[in-house]
Amino acid sequence: MHDITNLEDLGIPGVFVATSEFESAAIAQGKALGFDPPRVLVPHPVQDRTDEELISMADGALDEVIGALTRSAIRDPRSARTA
Amino acid sequence: MELLDPTAESAPLARAGAPRLAAIEGVTVGLLDISKPRGDAFPDRLAELLVARNVTVRRYRKPTHARPAAADLRSQIANDCDAVVEALAD
Amino acid sequence: MSKLADLDDGLLVVVKSDCETCRMVEPVLGVISTRTGIAIASQDDPSFPAGLTVMDDTDLELSWELQTETTPTLYRIEQGRVVESAAGWNREDWRRLTGIEGLGSGLPVSRPGCGSKIFEPGTFERLNHRPGSLRSRRVTVAPEVDPFEAMMSLGWSDGLPVVPPTEDRVQGMLGGTSRDAAETVCVMAPDLVECSVEKIAINAVMAGCKPEYLPVVLAGCEAVASDLFNIHGVAATTQFAAPVLIVNGPIRLELQMNSGINALGPGSRANATIGRAVNLVVRNLGGARPGGVDRSTLGSPAKWSLCFAEDEEGSPWEPLSVERGMPEGMSVVSAFAGHGPHEIVDQASREAESLASSFAAQLRSVGHPKLMGSLDALVVVVPEHARVFADSGWDKLRLRDELTDRLTFDADEVVRGAGGIAEGVPRVRLQPRMAKFRPDGLWFACAGGTAGMFSGIISGWTGGPRGSQMATVSIDNWK
Repeated sequence: MHDITNLEDLGIPGVFVATSEFESAAIAQGKALGFDPPRVLVPHPVQDRTDEELISMADGALDEVIGALTRSAIRDPRSARTA
Repeated sequence: MELLDPTAESAPLARAGAPRLAAIEGVTVGLLDISKPRGDAFPDRLAELLVARNVTVRRYRKPTHARPAAADLRSQIANDCDAVVEALAD
Repeated sequence: MSKLADLDDGLLVVVKSDCETCRMVEPVLGVISTRTGIAIASQDDPSFPAGLTVMDDTDLELSWELQTETTPTLYRIEQGRVVESAAGWNREDWRRLTGIEGLGSGLPVSRPGCGSKIFEPGTFERLNHRPGSLRSRRVTVAPEVDPFEAMMSLGWSDGLPVVPPTEDRVQGMLGGTSRDAAETVCVMAPDLVECSVEKIAINAVMAGCKPEYLPVVLAGCEAVASDLFNIHGVAATTQFAAPVLIVNGPIRLELQMNSGINALGPGSRANATIGRAVNLVVRNLGGARPGGVDRSTLGSPAKWSLCFAEDEEGSPWEPLSVERGMPEGMSVVSAFAGHGPHEIVDQASREAESLASSFAAQLRSVGHPKLMGSLDALVVVVPEHARVFADSGWDKLRLRDELTDRLTFDADEVVRGAGGIAEGVPRVRLQPRMAKFRPDGLWFACAGGTAGMFSGIISGWTGGPRGSQMATVSIDNWK
């Protein structure tokens, strides 16, 4: 997350690929940094997957990864306004 | 920690990211591998698929996943690549 | 939220169990409770006095609102306001307030009370808030994120670290003024944003100001946002200009502002942070961010902060503020659109005539030696140079006249192309004699260490109604 944020600051578009389990932490961190970098989520967990399953997860993520790097705007900025 | 916003609050609290690429073909993508001990199958496959789309893939690895990449690794990626993919966090 | 406003009309007493006088009057409180009724607020233990209904004021919010200095203090409340009060035990006072004859007959005539808990350390910091009064958006930084990095990421900084503007710090900062947090101080260009006292206080916290600096920051913002100063132009120009602040009057000494060695440099918290706070307001509220509206080609370190005090005690002349029409003895800030400094080295002149010629030679280079009547300048005259002028009996008017004489040139000397230099005054603007500075485009302030014959020119930006004019406002007005 920090890496993507830092590289975005340097003008390099980035995308963060994470398991769904990671998502809530990623959102909290993105909000706290004031930037919510694009991310692609794959199903949790990965530890017990076979190589074949991981390969098929990568196949499934490819379009979203490319989309995140090429779409004209990043996802809607989130407001960190608290109630 | 809760801070008070010093701005006019005219914009949502978020900063813009870097401009996106016009197309994926022909660019250089840095693949920052943060996969835990589970192995390289996911990033390897992602790299293979990107190469098939006429992307030049450069692979990077951090010494530890527990902390952000060092400044020299970041600037190396920024110098050598048009875009970056960080995978796979769990 | 006012606890006082919620009280019914009648009697109120603030007590604490850990106070002998309070314990002494315990039976008296029982009598009053039975006869007329009384609200009792305890600072330390709501089970005291036993058998009576007691409000829990262990958070001291009611005591703070009342500014209760002594326990017990007996109050008569009408429509949420104190109309009469008596501190400690005094039989006559208590009889008068309660209207109960013979009250406390068995007690001494009087007995002093005890110190209120509002004086305990930390209470001021905690309670000197106007709870719920701050309206700014709250931004939560997750525990694992360094707030300094988060603030950088949010684009709140001028590139240097900023102090996290927590509610406590902002409330503390607001203690530096009697003005209401919601009051509008100015409308700041380029985004034409109404800047409240609160928003400016937040930026003052971030800049590193102490609360007592706040009136100077508020006045600085008022000056910079004025039509005269034209911050839109100053912020957007491709030239170097930044708001340069010059402080006059007693507040210089109260805040220990630097007018001596390194007056234009680092080392003084007040100089550094007051100027920085105003620039952060221009950035964060006005919206003038470098690369955005701020198009300065090279910029200037003055865009971080250039703020100093005039050395009125060491100056042979009237202060800049008085020359600007403000009363002597008033604390005043003047905003000048400039940058710099650019040096006048003259260690040889012992006569005013010679030194003025040195000043003129250097001042001619402001902007460009062949540009006339466009850019203003502020000369910071150091003590060893000021003394040379004073010894020759020159006041500021004389110095300005002498410099104007030396800085008025024939048309053929300054016209475009003259001297083999394409730059210069365009033919359409050409007059037979051309003055370097507009009539109100050259200012003087005294500052600097007592050793060194090195005055400084703070070069300005386009002067006059088309550009920026010096703006001078009262600081006392913002206390």
